[in-house]
Amino acid sequence: MDFSFSSDQQLLKNSARAFLDEHCKPATVRLLWDDPRGESDTMWKEMAQLGWHGLALPEAYGGSGLGMVESAILLEELGRASYPGPYWPTVLAAAAVEAAGNDAQKKRWLSAIATGDARATLALLDADLDWDPAAMTTRAEKSAKGWTLSGTKRFVPWAHVANVLLIPARAPEGPSLFLVDPAAAGLKLSPVQGMDLATRWVHLDMDKVPVAPEALLGTPGQAAPLLSSLVRRGAIGAAAEMLGAARRCLDMAVGYAKVREQFGQPIGSFQAIRHKCSEMLLEVENSHSAVYYAAWALDAKAEDHELAASVAKAYVGDASRKVCGEAIQVHGGIGFTWEYDLHIYFKRAKALESMYGDVDYHREQIVRRAAR
Amino acid sequence: MDLNYSPEDREFRATTRRWLEANVPTQDLKTLDERKGWHRKLYEAGYVGMLWPKEYGGWGATPMQQAIVQDEMARVSAPPAINGLGIGFIGPTIIVHGTEAQKQRYLKKMLTAEEIWCQLYSEPNAGSDLASLKTRAEDQGDHFVVNGQKIWTSSGPISDWGILLARTDVKVAKHKGISCVLLSMRQPGVEVRPLKQITGSSLFSEVFMTNARADKSDLIGDINQGWAIAQTTLGFERGGNALGRVTRYVTAFNQLVKATKELKRGGRPLIEDPSVRARMGRIYADLEVQRYAALRVLSALQKGDTPGAASSITKLSYTEFEKRYYELALEILGPFGQLMVAREEFEEVDTSSGEPGTFATAFLWSRAGTIYSGSSEIQKNIIGERVLGLPKEVRADRLKA
Repeated sequence: MDFSFSSDQQLLKNSARAFLDEHCKPATVRLLWDDPRGESDTMWKEMAQLGWHGLALPEAYGGSGLGMVESAILLEELGRASYPGPYWPTVLAAAAVEAAGNDAQKKRWLSAIATGDARATLALLDADLDWDPAAMTTRAEKSAKGWTLSGTKRFVPWAHVANVLLIPARAPEGPSLFLVDPAAAGLKLSPVQGMDLATRWVHLDMDKVPVAPEALLGTPGQAAPLLSSLVRRGAIGAAAEMLGAARRCLDMAVGYAKVREQFGQPIGSFQAIRHKCSEMLLEVENSHSAVYYAAWALDAKAEDHELAASVAKAYVGDASRKVCGEAIQVHGGIGFTWEYDLHIYFKRAKALESMYGDVDYHREQIVRRAAR
Repeated sequence: MDLNYSPEDREFRATTRRWLEANVPTQDLKTLDERKGWHRKLYEAGYVGMLWPKEYGGWGATPMQQAIVQDEMARVSAPPAINGLGIGFIGPTIIVHGTEAQKQRYLKKMLTAEEIWCQLYSEPNAGSDLASLKTRAEDQGDHFVVNGQKIWTSSGPISDWGILLARTDVKVAKHKGISCVLLSMRQPGVEVRPLKQITGSSLFSEVFMTNARADKSDLIGDINQGWAIAQTTLGFERGGNALGRVTRYVTAFNQLVKATKELKRGGRPLIEDPSVRARMGRIYADLEVQRYAALRVLSALQKGDTPGAASSITKLSYTEFEKRYYELALEILGPFGQLMVAREEFEEVDTSSGEPGTFATAFLWSRAGTIYSGSSEIQKNIIGERVLGLPKEVRADRLKA
């Protein structure tokens, strides 16, 4: 039993922290707010050179063959920096290709993703906003040249910069998954902007989008288990990012409480503030336990790994909202200003809260597993 | 990271499970003798005093093994060992600070429950501010004469000995005039009066000391060093109950599931109500996180780390969780949640006190956890000062000193 990071894992964490402290400062994030793409290609390439994109990919495709624990370590640091860009959507899409793709599909996409030459994303949310893949309404119909896809996908992260879109659709055989060219005919991309200006979403409207036969990922009708596992993997990753955002907010709040003086003393000496900070630390530490337990359980194929993913997303969703919000409260007025950096992390945590299943969705998954 | 139990720990768990299956009492232990008998059986099997050094009768086991035993005991709702405070805190205090004569005289009988121990710390006017305690121990050469009142004493009526904090110097700052001494509870000057709690039961007592006598040879450490000794007691929390506690929560959750399947509202079982499901999902997520956190604590202990002030995070986490847990359970159960006697819809659950009861009993007991052994507010002070490094608060008593 060892809940601590190995020395390699600690090294990864330290190097990620060092890189992001230098290359993904709050000022960097702010600059990209107004950028039409919303991400930096230079940073993307540097991250690829550090081996981050291929972290969990097989060595045959230029990856390092590491697991979800290492991904979570990286994602926590990315969340702590409020990194703007398609890192997690791309890595998650790569996991889908690795799990279900044939050799040609893997060769085409995995190596390109590992080198930083390709970006990808996964359209998990349908028009009716249900994260259960069984509920999908997008349809795939057979055509003379393969398939055509029709329907709507909502809040697809970073689709506007992706080289390939992974789109689940219901074929006559059942839930299926397709690799779709973002420039395909009949596919309309509409950017959506939430309050976190560093999170970019796109709505996809598909009207008989033609898809070649070789763009089918896996067996037609058999994609539901894979899609469920991608929601869970996505949820653990999002929880790790939210944990990073929360820890950043906690650090900022504690730092501020030590130096900000009112009534002739640092506000951190008042129990009203100190107790708030202690509660925030409790939530952050519990979130750490939840994220890394779930990540380990996924890697180890532990019998409770599905439950653990939902526990992590449900718990950290609540916890990060509370911690980031209370950090604003500890700061007082300054924390409410645009110039102060707190809202960068506050909004990031909030943007991730609804992704890969919100708190309600995961609580329902938990009850289904725990209350049999 | 590797959260698998080691083969040795899995084997140890299997052995423990087999032993418990063969030995757990099938009927409630009614008399003190029966409880002592069960305690001795546990001790002889190596399940009491597990972390104590072998030279003092302990078993030199690992924190993980101790946690596994408590977990397996919780799984079958086995009655706890009787001398919990003695073995968890008082014995280790004597091992660290006591004289060889004290160790020889007291430790073995504590382990075998031949002598039951209690802790005489809190007073009516010294709760969170324990150092302001007023009980006096006057130096009479070879002994102290003790006068004062203690409160919240667990196992008071059945105790033979108590570990007492008393004031031995009134002229110095409050932390500096306290001594730690062992007091016989079996003497005319000591009167124990059970306190009835909001649960209706009496697990705590008041203890009145009127010219009670404590021998000088029973002083632990030096005179006026009692405060420092009491502080080290806090460090003896070794996560022993970390897993067992969560297992009790899970057992109660399974009873909650059973109840929500059998109780109906508007013609359908409660468990089909989305608002009930949402609340149950919240409880279970919270409960699982307590389990992950427990594994994290045990993993650190296995590596020889001492949790120190960080153990305040653990205590704050599970006691506050327990209040949320039973509040939600009672919300879900509606008027059935009020019942203090088990019914066919839900069986008994084990409360945090070890006392079996219903969800209502567990709900009432959950109010105690955030008060005893340092209230949540005190834990937050400790976390703030010692873990987060926030500045000390300005306190009236520090200004005077």
